[in-house]
Amino acid sequence: MFVSRSMNEKVITVAKETALLEAQDLMNEHNIRHLPVVDADNCLVGIVTDRDIRSALPHNLAKGKADPQERKKYAHIKVEEYMTAKPATISPEHTLQDALLMFQKKQVGAFPVVDRDNRLKGIISVRDLLRAFVNVLGIGEPGTLLCVLVEEKVGQLKRIVDVITEEKISCGSVLVARYFEKNKRAVFTYLLTNNVMRVKQKLRDLGFEILDPMQWYMDQLPKAE
Amino acid sequence: MKRTGFLYDQRYLLHDTGPYHPERAERLQAIYQGIEEAGLLPRLVRINARPAEMKWVEAVHAETYIRRFEEVCLSGHRTLDCEDNQMCRETYETAFLAVGGVLEAGRMIMAGELDNAFCAVRPPGHHAETAEAMGFCYFNNVAILARYLQKEWNIKHIGIIDFDVHHGNGTQHIFEKDPSVFYYSIHQHPSFAYPGTGREFEQGSGDGYGFTKNSPMLPGQSDEEYQRIIEQDMLPAFEPFAPEVIIVSTGFDAHKDDDMADMRLTTEGFAWIMREIVKLAEHHSNGRLISVLEGGYALDRLPELAADHVRILLEA
Repeated sequence: MFVSRSMNEKVITVAKETALLEAQDLMNEHNIRHLPVVDADNCLVGIVTDRDIRSALPHNLAKGKADPQERKKYAHIKVEEYMTAKPATISPEHTLQDALLMFQKKQVGAFPVVDRDNRLKGIISVRDLLRAFVNVLGIGEPGTLLCVLVEEKVGQLKRIVDVITEEKISCGSVLVARYFEKNKRAVFTYLLTNNVMRVKQKLRDLGFEILDPMQWYMDQLPKAE
Repeated sequence: MKRTGFLYDQRYLLHDTGPYHPERAERLQAIYQGIEEAGLLPRLVRINARPAEMKWVEAVHAETYIRRFEEVCLSGHRTLDCEDNQMCRETYETAFLAVGGVLEAGRMIMAGELDNAFCAVRPPGHHAETAEAMGFCYFNNVAILARYLQKEWNIKHIGIIDFDVHHGNGTQHIFEKDPSVFYYSIHQHPSFAYPGTGREFEQGSGDGYGFTKNSPMLPGQSDEEYQRIIEQDMLPAFEPFAPEVIIVSTGFDAHKDDDMADMRLTTEGFAWIMREIVKLAEHHSNGRLISVLEGGYALDRLPELAADHVRILLEA
């Protein structure tokens, strides 16, 4: 569920002295649209995007169609002139839900991921998030997420749902995921209630284990492919 | 020793949520018992609860909502707005008594009759929105108190600290545009805990931008991480604001033995937090502090938590 597990750790970076055209080449080469700008200590100083570069260059250069002669005229432009300094960042300990909501708010395509010392740890883009969120449903309504660990056999989900129904609790979503232990499944029930004590106790009485939330990681979910 | 007020009224037990609900009368009885058995009652000034005046409740809640609550309650319905909010016929009246008691605590402090106070009330309030009951809450006790202090006592800077394990969505929303109320909440991260709000980027809006601050805690964290956040984030956040009064939404449900959520605070951790808040009130607010009960469901732990809480107020 955390940014650290879904971010791209192999980040292509540039320095603020890097030529803008060189940054453009890197983006084309790696098919990316965001380049974090770091200093010698790998501390984040800015970010430059394909949009920044397009705004800096004439049309044909921006399209990469200019001849070498014309490129030379723009070779002196440095990244720092067009980058966004002190961009919005995210920490590896943030959750994917945080990232989703931050993307909506900040209207950017990617966040550099930095630690408490502002050192670059990775980058997370909307594309990364979409992949992670394909199986995740409904966090808009007030509720509580429980993770119940069950044996992998027929009828387990029904027993869980029966308890939830007995308690007259509505379900925002249910996600069944592979667990790293063999023959076990993790059932994530998003319950639209504050009142989870009795349902937790009933599930424990039935022999289910309520998992510690910090044990939930997206990489334990089934792979998309 | 401080003149510390204690609000408790037998009638707060009348709000009956049914046989299995965690927000139950025994919570208050455990709190009272803990304070009594610690020998603290004689040192406290008892605050008498009386029903709040309608005008103060209307300072926060929509008239249509108050009327709906009354009708639904008195007609014998067991829930309001959501299955979480279990009621009985006495709930509406009890909610007025809770608000009224809290306002009386505020009055006594402003009139100089008390230095600080702990209000052991039910039902709790911090999830209640202007026109919706949520998470066992009907009237937002602390929000109504803040409006009362603004209007009746002309207080310009009110600090609200909410350390209930759940985010106080109602309180945040009521004051998110108001730069005269600084709302600071520390709670279990909304991706895991009710009600799913209270992320760091929720910082208020309009004129109130920057006067709401949220510190979500990842599940399982304990005293050390709370201390780090409080020292490095909460205390400095109140420095430029300089609250004239501090209101505390006191929830004991971040305790490690409380099964409502997944935080691991110890009894000593709660005491440390309260001592810091009391120091903050000494520093900015001439010691004026009103603590109002929200959640906390571990009946075995509530006596010691409440006794510590009150002792810290007395010995501030």
